[in-house]
Amino acid sequence: MGPVQAGAVVLAQQPVEPPPIEYAAIAPVLLMLTAACVGVIVEAFLPRHQRWSVQVGLSLLTLVVAGVALGAYARGAGTGLTTLAGTIAVDTPTLFLWGTLLALGFASILLIADRSVEQGGAFVAESDASSGSSGLGASSGLSASSGPARGATADSSAPSPTMTRATAGVSGMRTEVFPLAMFSLSGMMVFCAANDLLTMFIALEVLSLPLYLLCGLAKRRRLLSQEAAVKYFLLGAFASAFFLYGLALLYGYSGSVKLAAISEATAGSDRSDTLLFAGIGLLVVGLLFKASVGPFHAWTPDVYHGAPTAVTGFMAACTKVAAFGAILRVLQVALEASSWEWHYVLWTVAVLSMLIGVVLGLTQTDIKRMIAYSSIAHAGFLLVGAIALTDRGLSGTLFYLLAYGFTTVAVFGVISLVRTSEGEATHLSGWAGLAKRSPLVAAVFTFLLLALAGIPMTSGFMGKFYVFSAAVTDGMVPLVVIALVASAAAAFFYLRVIVLMYFNEPAADGPTVSVPGAFTTAAITLGVVVTLLLGVLPTLAWNWANVGGFVS
Amino acid sequence: MLVLVLAHLLVAVALPFVAVRAMRLAFALAALPPAAALAWTLVHIGPVLRGREVVETLAWAPRIDLEIALRLDPLALAMTLLVSGVGALVLLYSRYYFGRDSPDGKRSAPLLLAFAGVMLGLVLADDLITLYVFWELTTICSFLLVGQAGISRESRRSALQALLVTTLGGLVMLLGFIVLGESAGTYRVSELVANPPRGAGVGVAAVLILVGAFTKSAQLPFHNWLPAAMVAPTPISAYLHAASMVKAGVFLVARLTPVFVGVTHWWVLTAVFGVTTMIVGGWRALHEYDLKKLLAYGTVSQLGFLMVLLGTGTRTAAVAGDSMLLAHGLFKAALFLVVGIVDHQAGTRDIRELSGLWKRLPWVAATATVAVVSMAGLPPAVGFLGKEAAFEAFLHGGLGSTVIEAGLLLGSVFTVAYSARLLWGAFADKPRQTTTEAIAAGAGLVLPAAVPAVAGIVLGVAYPITDDLSSAYADTYGTGADPYHLALWHGLNLPLLFSAIALAGGVALHAARERVTNLRARLPKPFTAQRAYERIMALLERTAVGVTGRIQVGSLPTYLGIILITVLVVPGSVLLTRASLPDAVPVWHRLLQIPLAVVILIAIAGVVRARRRLTAVVLVGVIGYGIGGLFIVDGGPDLALAQFLVETLTMVAFVFVLRRLPARFVQSEPAPGLRVPKVVIAVAGGVFMAVAALLFSSARQAPPTASRYYIAHAEEGAGATNVVNAIIVDFRALDTVGEIAVLAVAATGVASLVLATRYQRRRRRGPGRSGSAAKPTDRTTADDHDSRREEARE
Repeated sequence: MGPVQAGAVVLAQQPVEPPPIEYAAIAPVLLMLTAACVGVIVEAFLPRHQRWSVQVGLSLLTLVVAGVALGAYARGAGTGLTTLAGTIAVDTPTLFLWGTLLALGFASILLIADRSVEQGGAFVAESDASSGSSGLGASSGLSASSGPARGATADSSAPSPTMTRATAGVSGMRTEVFPLAMFSLSGMMVFCAANDLLTMFIALEVLSLPLYLLCGLAKRRRLLSQEAAVKYFLLGAFASAFFLYGLALLYGYSGSVKLAAISEATAGSDRSDTLLFAGIGLLVVGLLFKASVGPFHAWTPDVYHGAPTAVTGFMAACTKVAAFGAILRVLQVALEASSWEWHYVLWTVAVLSMLIGVVLGLTQTDIKRMIAYSSIAHAGFLLVGAIALTDRGLSGTLFYLLAYGFTTVAVFGVISLVRTSEGEATHLSGWAGLAKRSPLVAAVFTFLLLALAGIPMTSGFMGKFYVFSAAVTDGMVPLVVIALVASAAAAFFYLRVIVLMYFNEPAADGPTVSVPGAFTTAAITLGVVVTLLLGVLPTLAWNWANVGGFVS
Repeated sequence: MLVLVLAHLLVAVALPFVAVRAMRLAFALAALPPAAALAWTLVHIGPVLRGREVVETLAWAPRIDLEIALRLDPLALAMTLLVSGVGALVLLYSRYYFGRDSPDGKRSAPLLLAFAGVMLGLVLADDLITLYVFWELTTICSFLLVGQAGISRESRRSALQALLVTTLGGLVMLLGFIVLGESAGTYRVSELVANPPRGAGVGVAAVLILVGAFTKSAQLPFHNWLPAAMVAPTPISAYLHAASMVKAGVFLVARLTPVFVGVTHWWVLTAVFGVTTMIVGGWRALHEYDLKKLLAYGTVSQLGFLMVLLGTGTRTAAVAGDSMLLAHGLFKAALFLVVGIVDHQAGTRDIRELSGLWKRLPWVAATATVAVVSMAGLPPAVGFLGKEAAFEAFLHGGLGSTVIEAGLLLGSVFTVAYSARLLWGAFADKPRQTTTEAIAAGAGLVLPAAVPAVAGIVLGVAYPITDDLSSAYADTYGTGADPYHLALWHGLNLPLLFSAIALAGGVALHAARERVTNLRARLPKPFTAQRAYERIMALLERTAVGVTGRIQVGSLPTYLGIILITVLVVPGSVLLTRASLPDAVPVWHRLLQIPLAVVILIAIAGVVRARRRLTAVVLVGVIGYGIGGLFIVDGGPDLALAQFLVETLTMVAFVFVLRRLPARFVQSEPAPGLRVPKVVIAVAGGVFMAVAALLFSSARQAPPTASRYYIAHAEEGAGATNVVNAIIVDFRALDTVGEIAVLAVAATGVASLVLATRYQRRRRRGPGRSGSAAKPTDRTTADDHDSRREEARE
């Protein structure tokens, strides 16, 4: 670049001062993104038989290193800071959410990596994907998708011809799954740390797009899996559009996308409320969709049902953490001053979510769908904590997220173990009398279900207790009453499964319980241990969740 | 104390390993922890009654002041005696009751012991949250114990019912605890008693907590789970449903009555529900043929009685309540164990089949008689002491007390009547019936039943001891001038008269049982709570199925519809109420807009009607181009250019995909009933968006800060008169480069995928097997995404 041109640049603009970057603070995110990119390169250049081990090693190692970096930073971190020109806020809630995400991501990657429960892994095989016979069918099935989703399983469980060849077992699963999951995780981490709406939107897309793909990669029941992916994608795109529109309106209202600036604008101004309300409404719709809060839950059961179980676990745990992290930040930082306007709307949404989750969950005969509805009900509980705009509400919700995430990952881990010759036995009838065949698995699952129901000595109880007591302190007694009634009703369908497992005679040709491989065992153990620990010694995580609020 | 509770649980964990080898040993081993707890409590009776209470705390989650606090005070003392004493006896009894290899026994031993431990924790708890934790754990234990073998449909259902009702109550109670704790600032029961909180929240808390207590103690209208739970093996029924678990609710009321002394609806509610439960339970017990069911309804009735006494909050009532608590635990445990023996030895417990059993099981009959004396409230049993005190408690008072007194009297008549029915039904000679055969019962079975029965008499005769025990608790309400003391003889007074009336009435009622049964048959069948429960469950199930069928059909249009409706309702309603349309909106700026708009509208109509996929895609393209045209008319050629580009690109992508799809839409015609709502929702959504766009663009008041800079600097900084151009190629040139790079990468990816698929297909000419359509999906994903971003930027 010659001096003349340089001069012209200066004429046009002042020299750009690069914003300072706190590398130590955002090291975990950078590590994750780097690993994801490296993962893509590994896909491209390593021979097929080495990929799996390299990808698994890379992912797990990165998660651990990122965790260590996070821990090292958190040790010396103050109340928090913003970096990257104020687009990312690294404060205590962020650190907590990052830690949660990394830990949950670790457990999920373990589940995803397992190749012993399903021979060769639960994902579509290398040679299978390019020749999947059902791809065409999936698309045409979609356009005729008015029929119930369950109807599609009939022809999809048959393995495609290529699968039966010996090559399928050898070639193993598609290892793109790992970089995809890592990208998604990085997106989640940015999502819950984003300090302005635009960054949040980008992060939303980064976390969503890989998830859409992951949903469609099940080895068995291809049709169902692909249908789930397309549904998730279309509805997700819709929600993203809402988010974006809301973002634009809020920008129009306040003249900035920064959360702090929006907060300032709402605090005292005579600007048009129309833009603010419509903006909040649309933005929140987008966020609630990601958190699968009813009535924006429609995708949840179908997607949870269709996606590979390991991915479902990943989605259910991590996405919820990220989405609620973002909801908390938006509500507490940007919209706190205008809380009078939206408070009762979110009240209604929380009630609806709990009711939908519980009432619809009662009829489910498929265990994955049942857990999906339970997650909708849990989203309602979480929302109760999130709209209590106090420090206790914040820390209670954070704790709940941690507790719920680990329980959920373990639940899906256990679900993946109970199988028939045609894959997972997700129909409830297959679970009858499980305790007689496999007492250990039944006991573990019972414990997890009790945690979901919120019975004492499990993390679920502690979470509910924190959240509800925070809500009561904030004066939302009627809402908490509804929440408690909902949790009692929700207990019904968890307990029904327990009754089914213990008090029924197993069917003669019922499913068997696979011996889990080291990976799945590790993931389930991690989930169960955390669930128990948080139930008995909640102080461990509580101390961390309860230091300071958001920084903007 | 904590050690004792933990010992129960630890031994319970170890028990299954013992039970596999030697079941009897397991039960003997299981009886050790309760026995130890009993011994420990006995040692502490003296100090506790003299006011030296034992307190233990353990910080649990200090940050939110959660702690495990245990405290042995007079009330806890009475309950501990029951829980541990009866627990040890029942475990010893089970040793002989269950067969050597009975799978029921193997499951029951650890569960019963764990239950005893949890129950011990519950009665000792001094912290509301600790109490709740143990409360829920008893629910789970009892569920597992009742469910047991669970092969029968009935036992599964009743286990589930018990669990549901008590869990629901427990959660409501937790809410009450939280409200109470938050309004008082402490969760410690002893502190709450010392400084009872006041305020509106306390009244709410009282009601919520009562719901929990009522469900657990099987009060009307939640009473139906208890008789339904009688499918459990008898020792379990004896322990859970007589001595301990159902007492939890009553115990909770006793615990918290000092806190709620000033709250009117606390004692009104307990009195109303208690008296009603006492009468209804007694009435139902008169008509049961199954001895266990009879006892179960008797328990329901007695629990109502206890609820009245312990909820009232006066000293005399508390004395009565505390002694009745002891009495009931003792005689009901004994009677349940007796019924168990009868069932075990005679093979049936149906009154209509049993006859003359007293000859076969004389000791058992004697034990039963001793226990029944206490139940019917006859001297010299402890039941008599309690009943006398109860009558005394409501003697002096207004109308309310008189009504309660009358209710208690009626309830006592029923109690005597069903006591007689039990004794007569189980052991008496019945005309026209042969003597039932039964194997003589061993001492291992009879002794555990006899011990509590005799204890009931001993406590009655040695009434000063009983008085000490109950007064220590009752003194929390203040002793007053002339405190009431339990005694067998108070002189000739009204309570004695009432006792006599109850006895005479009960015996008469029993003598006239045939007529009573006929009367009941003639009465219209009341709407029972059991039916209500079943109706509610069925309704819930039906609603759930119905709603699921409507909403979760797995159809994308429906889902979209739901989301659209929500958007219409939530932000739409806000817009409707808050915003006002800008005045003077010109319908058009330029004439050229009209034909373009018409074209777009026609294309829209065409898209909706299209049968062929390609037609639909082309028409969508037409809409896009039309909008591009509108941009040109409004003077934004660059914007229009971008729009045209995006439209073309999307079209190309579409065509790639469409090649793989059938030419026509395969969806069958939607039902006409569905068409109208679809049209309505779609049109409403469109109108909403249009109106919203109009409103939003007019509602903006804040000055556009970002563009001001660009507008000001475009001319001098970039030498451009078109600000948009200046932004794209100059101010934000780096962004543009990035954008282009991304587009280029995406396009390369798409192209290579298309080529790769073609290459693969050519290589593998499998019949009827085309390339994967999953890939085109990915491709559209990328494209759509890019185009969306493109639009966003524009």
